[in-house]
Amino acid sequence: MDTIMTGLGTGFAVALQPFNLMLVLAGCFLGTLIGALPGLGPINGVAILLPIAYGLGFPPELALILLAGIYYGAEYGGRISSILLNVPGDAGAVMTTLDGNPMARNGEAGRALSLSAVASFIGGTIAVILMTLFGPLLAKFAVTFSPANYVALMVFAFASLASLVGKSTVKTLLGALIGLMLATIGVDANTGVARYSFGIPDLLAGIDFLIVVVGLFGMAELLSLVEEQVSGRLKTLPVDNSFVRMADLAKTKWTILRCSIMGFIIGVLPGTGASVASAVAYGTEKRLAGPDGKLFGTGDVRGLAAPEAANNAAAGGAMVPMLTLGIPGSGTTAILLGALLMFNIQPGPLLFTQQPEIAWGLVASMYVGNVALLLINLPLVGLFARMLTIPQHYLTPLIAVLAFVGIYTIVGNPFDLFLITGLGVFGWFLRKLEFSLAPVILGFVLGGLFEGNLRRALSISGGDWAILTDDWKSLLLYGLAIAVVVLPIWMGRRSKKEPAGDA
Amino acid sequence: MADRIFAGVLFLLTLAYGVIAFTSIKAPFQYDPLGPESWPRLLSIVALACIVYILWRPDVDSLHVTRPTWIRLALMVGLLMVYAELYEPLGFVLSTILFAAITARMLGAGILHSIIFGIATGVGGYLLCAVLLELNLPVGEWIEHLIYDTAQTTQEAN
Repeated sequence: MDTIMTGLGTGFAVALQPFNLMLVLAGCFLGTLIGALPGLGPINGVAILLPIAYGLGFPPELALILLAGIYYGAEYGGRISSILLNVPGDAGAVMTTLDGNPMARNGEAGRALSLSAVASFIGGTIAVILMTLFGPLLAKFAVTFSPANYVALMVFAFASLASLVGKSTVKTLLGALIGLMLATIGVDANTGVARYSFGIPDLLAGIDFLIVVVGLFGMAELLSLVEEQVSGRLKTLPVDNSFVRMADLAKTKWTILRCSIMGFIIGVLPGTGASVASAVAYGTEKRLAGPDGKLFGTGDVRGLAAPEAANNAAAGGAMVPMLTLGIPGSGTTAILLGALLMFNIQPGPLLFTQQPEIAWGLVASMYVGNVALLLINLPLVGLFARMLTIPQHYLTPLIAVLAFVGIYTIVGNPFDLFLITGLGVFGWFLRKLEFSLAPVILGFVLGGLFEGNLRRALSISGGDWAILTDDWKSLLLYGLAIAVVVLPIWMGRRSKKEPAGDA
Repeated sequence: MADRIFAGVLFLLTLAYGVIAFTSIKAPFQYDPLGPESWPRLLSIVALACIVYILWRPDVDSLHVTRPTWIRLALMVGLLMVYAELYEPLGFVLSTILFAAITARMLGAGILHSIIFGIATGVGGYLLCAVLLELNLPVGEWIEHLIYDTAQTTQEAN
């Protein structure tokens, strides 16, 4: 408890400096702005703004505070287009449209927006509090992890990713493998041997993480926008003056609390992020509401509060494995992990003890960010709603210009601009073929770590593969990995059998 | 069908990746049991297994993209390539004005609006990113020449 308190003290000393406070605010504002753009989900927003934030040349803790603000803000902004347009920015926001949009159509857009802002705020804050309590504990435990344990942990992460994300397990796995293979390009750190660089000097250092992120997310998103091009403006519902009432909060307080905790736990699991959390929360609340459950989907306040609290709590929960183990829990945290690595910060169990100003500064800035978002969002929601009316034919070139500025500004190499365009085309095809992109980026970010730990483990054992299954921690993780793949298949079979038995 | 074609292309790429891993990657000397080639070998085998499964049981039939959409996408990619090609020679301001205006026009904005939008993006973007945020953006080779030439003539005049 003492270490947590002193840690938080250090953190707030960093986060509350006037300039850093301004950065949190700027990040939240920009994030909400880009998250509110129609069709541009948080992950794409973070991907596009990441190189620019990197290019500003801030010291790591400042850049991270800015990025965390953008990440949080983007998650917040996503709900605006869900509610007013019925267009979810990403998979995590789908559930928000179910009750949020009907409320807006009933002329209660203001009430829906402010209620969801409050639910998001509470969900996010509970997640940060839980993270403050359990993060350091997990870190302390993780210090004892050997390289072999890390290999097992990564197998577990990819297994749960493969079974829970995307439509096809094999495709998700293949996506992760593509990411892992992309990560092998360049000079091998252990032996100095060049792999897959084909004598092209631009490839010797490997493909830059930012290029992969901007290409696969930003540029692929841009091509999707061009493909689905909606001519003219989208019709948004007007934001009126209605506001969240005390009665709404009284009615939803237990819903919000339950869903926040649920969301946090789901967020912590590797591979499962906001989309799973909001779906589970919505389903559970609908069942708990009993006969009232029929009202869900027609503009019920609980149906709106549940997924919003859960997805923001999951966004916070996903930060826990990222910071303490160095294993991201979602696509977006994979991007943040990559950002940390770019600053030569290796997240993991030692981060909290070796670089407390960074770890705790980030945690404290999340507290501040949550408050800032609530304050920004309640009065300025009308402004953000305006973003929805930007016509697609202006939005599309703007995304390209932002992506080019961001990528060029890092090393000033025009070769990279072709690379992101090529990766964008590749990412677009992957999306069209129902591969999800999060595993690719997770594979790319974890590639070096995975390979490094495997090689280290085998160096320790002198080449004996038995070291991988040598202690209870690894065995437990492999067991979990098998369970997470097998259970959904088994449950799917069983639920398929039952209706067949009835008939 | 679409799945099979894509998986086929991936199969060839992964096969090439695997062949390289099995034949040409070698460390001149090493002390560790796993060299630089082991991990790619492992990856290529697992990936090939996944791809064979997709070839055997594809689940996406067609991309559902109409011909005009293909053309629009190809144009977009072409524009991006040209933009990347001209980024340094023309400089940020000029290349962005051209790119933004043409893209907006292609996607359905009016001619006048496209031109205004292009100029606003190019000039405004430069002022915001290069001047205010001090990011590194290309000035353009021709402007550099211009500055260089004027500097020389003024020197000569002095």
